[in-house]
Amino acid sequence: MSELSSALANLEEEKVARIIKQELGTGKDSMGVLTELRKGMDEVGQRYKKGEYFLSELIVSGEIFKDAMKVLEPTLKKDGGGPATKVVIGTVKGDIHNIGKDIVATLLKGVGFEVYDLGIDVPVKAFVDKVVETKATIVGMSGLLTPSFESMKETVDALKEAGLRNKVKVIIGGGVVTELVQRHTGADAFTDDAMEGVEIIKKWSAKSN
Amino acid sequence: MTADTIDTRLARVKAAIDLKPPDHTPVCLSLDYKFVYRYKGLKQADYFRNRGLGGRSGSSLFIDVFNELGGWDFVGAGGNTTRVRDILEAPMIIRVPGKDIPEDEVIQWEEVEVLTHEHYDQIIKVGWIKFMDDFYPRFRGYDPAEYRARIDARAVKELAAMKPGQEMWNRMGYPVQGGGDVFSPLMMLSTARTMIKFTVDLYRIPDKVQAVMDAMIDDLITLSIKACKAAGVGGPYGIPTKSVILERGGGFVYPLKIFERFEFPYLKKMVNAFVNEGITPILHFDSDWTLNMPYLKELPHRKFFIQLDSKTDIFKTKEILRDTCCIMGDVAPSLLSLGTKEEVGAYCRKLIDVVGKGGGLILGVGCGVPVDSKFENLKMMIDTAREYNPHHT
Repeated sequence: MSELSSALANLEEEKVARIIKQELGTGKDSMGVLTELRKGMDEVGQRYKKGEYFLSELIVSGEIFKDAMKVLEPTLKKDGGGPATKVVIGTVKGDIHNIGKDIVATLLKGVGFEVYDLGIDVPVKAFVDKVVETKATIVGMSGLLTPSFESMKETVDALKEAGLRNKVKVIIGGGVVTELVQRHTGADAFTDDAMEGVEIIKKWSAKSN
Repeated sequence: MTADTIDTRLARVKAAIDLKPPDHTPVCLSLDYKFVYRYKGLKQADYFRNRGLGGRSGSSLFIDVFNELGGWDFVGAGGNTTRVRDILEAPMIIRVPGKDIPEDEVIQWEEVEVLTHEHYDQIIKVGWIKFMDDFYPRFRGYDPAEYRARIDARAVKELAAMKPGQEMWNRMGYPVQGGGDVFSPLMMLSTARTMIKFTVDLYRIPDKVQAVMDAMIDDLITLSIKACKAAGVGGPYGIPTKSVILERGGGFVYPLKIFERFEFPYLKKMVNAFVNEGITPILHFDSDWTLNMPYLKELPHRKFFIQLDSKTDIFKTKEILRDTCCIMGDVAPSLLSLGTKEEVGAYCRKLIDVVGKGGGLILGVGCGVPVDSKFENLKMMIDTAREYNPHHT
């Protein structure tokens, strides 16, 4: 692992910023820098899986990654890195809880997904429209209240009605989401763990590519 | 089975808290206006338009639903006044049904940055109460002196209404518990800073965060005790309690080194102070705290109880805390809103079989009763507690 990847995995914020500045200053390709950052995020995920890291370390690494991207993004070529799997994500209608959704969105970006974050209290139609517009193959819906179950179900039903259900995988997440909720909504997977959600999406992406 | 009286109900609850076998498992639903209004065909916004119609325990709609469900073993009464709530609960932006969100959506709190790093310095300098006395009214858009005068006057009325509430429930044959809530310092700062920003603070400026918490804790304890006593829950059929709201400091979010420094020392100080004043702390654990449960063995045994919301492993917790404290919980919100009554009954029987063995279980919902719970599922919880009694000899 490179020094930059290690610095990110070790949550060394200042070191990450310094190395990026150095590398870009010496003419290193920004796509190469991004690849190193993603390897760092992968390592964070590995440490989480081994129980060495907790959700808090996912949050901090995500914030370091976001800060790094602010520096890196203006220099990245639009078509750099090849096609990425597209994910539409949002907190469903009637629910404004954003923490879990925000963490997952950041982690997904960190490992290379193209994420369309629709925000909170997202109407059913907005999910469907964004899938049509982006041709995303994965939809992630979040909610922390029991009324969100119906919004999730309505969104899955709307994807069916739009003829998109067999083209997208749907994952639901949140503190109150269980297998019972997955069955009720017709989603393909559920989780109450941000990194587990990312892993499920990575597996889906690997199968489809 | 003989008819229940206030004495049999109180004995049942006290046995559970004291980790002795009760005659059968006590049950208590944390019911508020959300389910009551939905079930009675009213909008969530109706509660805010007509407070007192049926939101708080003691009002007519609540009593109707309580009786329709068959009642339970003890009822919540006597909480924080608005004045106290402003200080013991986190400043957050509230979205109120009918005002900020549609009529029949449930009230929600926005996760936005309310406290900044500059506020940290002010808290360290003047303490939590003095800081909030000035900050909170300004945050809500009011002049502090005018706001304080208004809510001080309101507090007199709110307190005057609490004592009759307990007396009414006692006359109806039900013991009460109550005395209001308090957020742990970690929970307070996490919600007011946002979980993401606060977590970054813990890693980037830990000493500053600790200094803020040190400046908060005595104020939180002192006001909690004062407010609990002012609420007036007591006498032979009233259990003075203080609910400590804990949601974000556990193993689901943080490694133990953070819990050991930023959550547990303050929690321990709170619990000991409340117990010394004859108050029973109720530790309200939302999300998964399984990893943290062994630490509770350091708290005064049989003097507090915990509420679990189905995310913490209640069965493992029972093994860990068998001799330490009573557990209240933990029928999952999704089971209550989507499950069948047979599924609810089966889970309640499992809780009674395993967690209730030898005492130390209050059957309940860890957090509040979900707005869209099925009536028959709530009824099944109560009936199962009464009728399923495998441990009674």
